[in-house]
Amino acid sequence: MVEQKLEEIKLTFEKDLEDAVENGEFDQLYLKYFSRTHGTITLLLKELPTLSDQEKKELGPKLNLLQKELKEQIESAKKQWDQKLRNDPKIDLTVPQPAKKSGYMHPTNQVIREMNEFFRYYGFSVVEGPEIETEEYNFRKLNLPKEHPATDLQDTLYISQKDELLLRTHTSSIEARILTEHKPPIRVVVGGKSYRNETQNKTNSHFFHQYQGVVVDKGITIQHLKATLELFHKLLFDENVELRFRYKYYPEVSPGMGVDMKCNFCNGDGCSVCKFRGWIEVLGSGMIHYNTLKMCGIDPEIYTGFAFGMGLDRLVMQKFGIKDIRKLYGGGVYYI
Amino acid sequence: MIVPIEWLKEYVDIKKSPEEIAESFTSLGLLLDKPIQNNILDLEHRMDRSDWLSILGCARDLAAFENLPLKYPELYTEKGKEGGGVRIEVECPDLVHRFNTRVFKGIKVGPSPEWLKTRLEEYGISSKNNIVDITNYVMVELGQPMHAQDISKMEKPEIVIRRAQTGEKVTTLLGETIELDSDTFVLTQNNKPTVIGGIVGGIDTAVDENTTEIVLDAGNYDQTSVRQSSRRLKIQNETVLRYDKFLHPKLTEIAIQRATKLILELAGGEYYENEDWYPQETPIKQQELHFERVKTISGMDIATERVKEILTALEYKILEENEEKLKLQVPYFRTDVEVEDDLVADVLRINDYKNIPVTLIPAAPPKEITPEIYKFEEKIRDYLVTLGIHEHITDPLVSRNEKLLEQVILENSLNSEKDALRTTLYETLLPVTEIYKKHGIEEVGVFELGRVYRNKEPRELRYTEVIRVGKEGYLETSKKVREILAGLLLNLGIANVTYKKEDEIVKIYQKDLFLGEVKLDSFTLFTETLLKTERGILRVREGFAAESYEDISLTIEETIYIGEIIDFINNFHEKISNAQVIDEFQTANIKSVTVRITFLETNKTQIKEIKEKLITELQNKFGVSLRH
Repeated sequence: MVEQKLEEIKLTFEKDLEDAVENGEFDQLYLKYFSRTHGTITLLLKELPTLSDQEKKELGPKLNLLQKELKEQIESAKKQWDQKLRNDPKIDLTVPQPAKKSGYMHPTNQVIREMNEFFRYYGFSVVEGPEIETEEYNFRKLNLPKEHPATDLQDTLYISQKDELLLRTHTSSIEARILTEHKPPIRVVVGGKSYRNETQNKTNSHFFHQYQGVVVDKGITIQHLKATLELFHKLLFDENVELRFRYKYYPEVSPGMGVDMKCNFCNGDGCSVCKFRGWIEVLGSGMIHYNTLKMCGIDPEIYTGFAFGMGLDRLVMQKFGIKDIRKLYGGGVYYI
Repeated sequence: MIVPIEWLKEYVDIKKSPEEIAESFTSLGLLLDKPIQNNILDLEHRMDRSDWLSILGCARDLAAFENLPLKYPELYTEKGKEGGGVRIEVECPDLVHRFNTRVFKGIKVGPSPEWLKTRLEEYGISSKNNIVDITNYVMVELGQPMHAQDISKMEKPEIVIRRAQTGEKVTTLLGETIELDSDTFVLTQNNKPTVIGGIVGGIDTAVDENTTEIVLDAGNYDQTSVRQSSRRLKIQNETVLRYDKFLHPKLTEIAIQRATKLILELAGGEYYENEDWYPQETPIKQQELHFERVKTISGMDIATERVKEILTALEYKILEENEEKLKLQVPYFRTDVEVEDDLVADVLRINDYKNIPVTLIPAAPPKEITPEIYKFEEKIRDYLVTLGIHEHITDPLVSRNEKLLEQVILENSLNSEKDALRTTLYETLLPVTEIYKKHGIEEVGVFELGRVYRNKEPRELRYTEVIRVGKEGYLETSKKVREILAGLLLNLGIANVTYKKEDEIVKIYQKDLFLGEVKLDSFTLFTETLLKTERGILRVREGFAAESYEDISLTIEETIYIGEIIDFINNFHEKISNAQVIDEFQTANIKSVTVRITFLETNKTQIKEIKEKLITELQNKFGVSLRH
């Protein structure tokens, strides 16, 4: 009697399964047999407790076995169905699709971020400062007295409404601020905008970006400057970059140091890229001037430090193949 | 600085090739600027070393670098005859430090000998006659500009130096007439200007082939005045190049002795003493150098003997010495020396920077002082980029707008289109989308993290500006803009944001904190204010919350802003976690909206209770009605 009923269920299931395999509707099939409220097997299982011990003993294992079999068959049929879908001849994985695009970071900010990451590994903090500056921080504390040629009105953009306010002409103004506001040891880098009173053309602009590093501590020497710059240039160019260190005057440092890289286009033989020098000037640096430390409230007899700075735009333009600085900052670059 | 190698060899007997010489110069601070041509070096001159605007000055450093002796040019050191007879008067002692003069009589003006012509031409100055050439030669050789005037062409034998009167004119040797102003000083005779002080000589008293009597001067002037005058008058020449640097007045003595030697040799005649106007002597500096300081700066143990050798070769005079330090007299021509470290610089560069070892900073990194805003902006940047929005950097300089009372105006911009600073990022970023459009890209999102400027404190504010343009119409575009905004805020962890329309502007708030503004095509966030928000959204949860949602459809009068209703629902009950508009449309003057409310609750009875209470309140407060 019971056996017969189970056989019937099996037969019906086989037919139902065939239908399901036709149209892929396995959820309905599953519910027909296993729904918690009306599933055929579920109902039988629910009846079990009402039966006699003998019947329970007989039917129980059989029902469980059937349940297991049917579930396995549904699973296996599902897999076959899925396989069929996967084998759809219309699918050709070799057809390239248009790229799902993200946005793009501005090239200059990419370069600044790359540099910042490098320096943070070496224990530098990334700092910032105002673009509207005072003569005090932009010139005086950097050992640029009033009569110094670099402080000429012609080169600096001054603010009308206030005396002595200007647009910073270099990121060194932030160096002056950090040295004034923090106690050594100091290890910082800064990348940002600077301004000069220039007419724009392909390679010059009234605003540009600079990158600067400053280290002050007891026992800092020009040897540490050299080592830091060597590592930095390996990041910017490559492991085998060849550098030349030479004396160069900058008002805010003494001794000053110019750094050149052997021209990678002509390998030092001289070409139009390096203006036939064989070397390309990359940055300026030096030991922070005694007077600068003093004016910023750091005792130059106890602490020494170095600073380096470079223009970023030329580097960015070279790296990204951009020839006109006005396009780099005027929306004339677009990203694919 | 142009250095013809043959000329250079007059002072230093160097056997190296021009390329090797250029390399030495580059190391010691005179970078080879242009390719070497015809044995002539073109070296980059920096502002500090006025003595490097002379061949002798360059030779001195090269000799020290190469460990070779320096040969000094011959000077005429004997006294001349009394009675030069040219009266000297300086009416502007603030601009003139020294005015050293001599008079030559019975000279013969004619062409210069070949060697002199060649040297000047190699340097880049064309030959005029022996007297003019000698003044030029001594200027290039020693760095002191000089000037000779024909006494017979003067109405009165005098040189009076005074400020020019506005409108006074001088015709230069090149035939150009220059109009002067009172910030410029002139050499005059009989109250007529003959020379623009420190800048250029005039034609009226110029030396020519008939000249037999000259007054020769070597002056020392205020460098700032010369620089500013020459810029104003747009005159740039070899004289200005040197006078706008700091020259020591002592240099005039050497230069005039050297010129005397050459004039007597090449033009004959006799020389007469004339006034050397030098009321207040500029002192010669002294500077101490502690040997320990060399080590402090360089980390190197350079032998004291080597230090002394270098400094002596550079003509420092050791006045006193002991184990710890040297007391030195700084050579008069080294007007650049300010501090002890400048002497360390001299030692290191003559010792060659190549020889400085390379050592990593040994100390542990100091405490990090990177400001929070830097990291925060990096986060904003990353998130906007993942949304497909492109970052741009635009020019902060804009043209002046009288209506903007807070605009920062630039005093001296060269360009009237760029004479003020932006007050919004929108104004400089929007044109970027127009460039995209011009190139056929009509649907694009751009952003900038930048500063805007005001003429009062705080003068700089950091904004985050996003502009999203498309061709789908303002309704759709504005939804896309708000999606980006909502996504950005969610990712920054900024919850409980409300949108309120005030004075025709839709403002973004978190409680009372004003975070920014929304427009149809863009939004602005005040980046510094965002940092002050409560940021507590945890986007990660264990398992899935027991949540359920209910949709309610409302009709609302046109004058009511949906943002306020959403805000009200969001704050209505602790079990309501979120209210979101999923559909909205407008007919006549009625707005219809469907709001999906997420409950932190699955019990139907309880949800129903909250919902009913909410609807009653909405009806009372906003006059909405339920749409079925």
